[in-house]
Amino acid sequence: MDLAKEMTKEQAVLDSMRSSYKNAVPNSFDSLSNTSLLKLESLEFPTTKLEYWKYTRTGQIANKEWKFGGLENIDLPENLPVSKNRLVFVNGHFDAKRSSLPTAEGLTILPFAKSGIASTIAQGEEDIFRAWNTAMPQDGYHIRVAKNKAIQDSLQIVFLYSGQNTISQPRSFVEVAENSELKISEFHIHSAGSLAFANVHSEAVVGDNAHLKIDIVQHGSEKGFHLHETFGEQGKNCTYTQNTFTLSGNWTRNNSTIRLIDEHSECNLNGFYIPNLKEHIDNHTIVDHEKPNCVSNELYRGVLLDKSTGVFNGKVFVRQDAQKTNAFQSNGNIIASDTATMNSKPELEIYADDVKCSHGSTTGQLDDEAMFYLMARGLSKENARKLLINAFAEDVLEKLVNEDLREIIEDIIHTKLA
Amino acid sequence: MLKIKDIHASIEGKEILKGLTLEVKPGEIHAIMGPNGSGKSTLASVLAGNDTFEVTSGSVDFLGKDLLELGPDERSHAGVFLAFQYPVEIPGVSNINFLKAAINEKREALGEEPITAKEFLKRVKEKASLVELDNKLTNRSVNEGFSGGEKKRNEIFQMAMLEPKLAILDETDSGLDIDALRIVANGVNQLRKEDRSFIIVTHYQRLLDYIIPDFVHVLYNGKIVKTGGKELALELEEKGYDWIKKEADTVTA
Repeated sequence: MDLAKEMTKEQAVLDSMRSSYKNAVPNSFDSLSNTSLLKLESLEFPTTKLEYWKYTRTGQIANKEWKFGGLENIDLPENLPVSKNRLVFVNGHFDAKRSSLPTAEGLTILPFAKSGIASTIAQGEEDIFRAWNTAMPQDGYHIRVAKNKAIQDSLQIVFLYSGQNTISQPRSFVEVAENSELKISEFHIHSAGSLAFANVHSEAVVGDNAHLKIDIVQHGSEKGFHLHETFGEQGKNCTYTQNTFTLSGNWTRNNSTIRLIDEHSECNLNGFYIPNLKEHIDNHTIVDHEKPNCVSNELYRGVLLDKSTGVFNGKVFVRQDAQKTNAFQSNGNIIASDTATMNSKPELEIYADDVKCSHGSTTGQLDDEAMFYLMARGLSKENARKLLINAFAEDVLEKLVNEDLREIIEDIIHTKLA
Repeated sequence: MLKIKDIHASIEGKEILKGLTLEVKPGEIHAIMGPNGSGKSTLASVLAGNDTFEVTSGSVDFLGKDLLELGPDERSHAGVFLAFQYPVEIPGVSNINFLKAAINEKREALGEEPITAKEFLKRVKEKASLVELDNKLTNRSVNEGFSGGEKKRNEIFQMAMLEPKLAILDETDSGLDIDALRIVANGVNQLRKEDRSFIIVTHYQRLLDYIIPDFVHVLYNGKIVKTGGKELALELEEKGYDWIKKEADTVTA
């Protein structure tokens, strides 16, 4: 057998994607994709030998044929909060019919394909999944808030994924210009029973004195895959807040990277996850303090049920120039079964000498004494457990930017604990 | 009301209670005294249903029910209350919300309607004043950041809210200064009723100056070795436990 002629796994997957991409996706993306397609030839699927992918296997993605899907008519979740500013995307296609774009002055909203953006702020080592998204991007949102505009009402953005062996690669970009403000609530929902791979890429640029706050709710399916990469760049005196709630999904990997490239800014990355059955959830964060006087806060809380596995890896860089940095990171986990696993790893790289950095990671079981105390007062085992887990989740829930998401999140938590 | 018959209990294979028998009738106050390690707190934990202790033999009848067959929550619904020696701090769980949930679970178990918000708030106000518990404390997370005295007062407050038939106080006096002790004892005395009984576990006689018991039992080596009236407590205070130990050891020898 001639080994040289045998197709690599990477090429095989790519071929199946490419043939459907041309049909499924408009030509507007060509300028972005042509240059990056070349790169794809040299990239391989990561293995657990790589530190960045040590606890998360990609074999289940690599060994499938993926095809781009269409604009299917999938129901919106019943308990989705009512919103008059809604954008809906289905399998990477903008669903104009079910979207209602707000018309606030200074706010520009376009599907990504129409934005003409052909650049990226993503940095770091090349990664095959990022390269796929760059080479074959689909519609996400392109939002721009002009200078000095505070957009009052939150934007609701709903991404739906469906089908069997369907890949979606929504690409989004949000820019909040100087002294302006924007709030977003973002949903990523895989239809029940679907086997979809959502390879999501979002970028955010926060200008001087601006504020961008995003809540992300992820609701995967029992077979699907969800890879969610966000890149943020912060200017001076600004705030970026991102709260990620991973409520379900067979396989979820979140990569959040924020660069603080000017002084006196604040970055808040929070997350809550509650995997059950054999679900796997991996949160990787990088906060890069490049300039002095910035603050970063990270709070990730997880409850691991059944045979689920969780990963948290939080990297904080404090560059030589970044004096007076305050960086806090905390990851707490409750292992609520004998068969769940959690791998938590804080990584601090500090090159400045006048900084305050702290990190804490705790992983334990529900406190037996607290359980007995509550039960001795008359609470059933189930309710005592719920009460303790809710209290634990509340640490992150209280960070919600959009309070109207609370119900949908709490409902799913309760269902999982029942 | 409560009939404990020849109960044996152990923790990690080590026997702590070695054939304890005790009967408590409605409205009675029984004090359980004894040297450290005699099994006093084990008795309290076993009655409340703490499963770190294993009951190996004997029986406990509470108002006609086999208490040992019930979980801690069911015992609470049946009317048993344990005031903990070391009340647990539970961050994030509000004292008030948790008590409301506890009351309503009990009501549900008894087939009653949930308590109305108005009735509940009225009861909170009334019972908190019983132990001079600050309004702010009732609204905070369970025992979080409470002083030792505040924790014990919170236990008596919860007891008042849950209106038990049998209240077990596990060394509620330990760590309390005289003012806090008086407040706690005063709260307990106001909760005395014809059909409500108390088991007061204590190492010292001090608390019994304020809460007058009907019976005083001395627990030693996992058994009740002496029973008397309130004067027995004074005798113990004066003479210590050595004479009891000697007496008991002679009998068994």
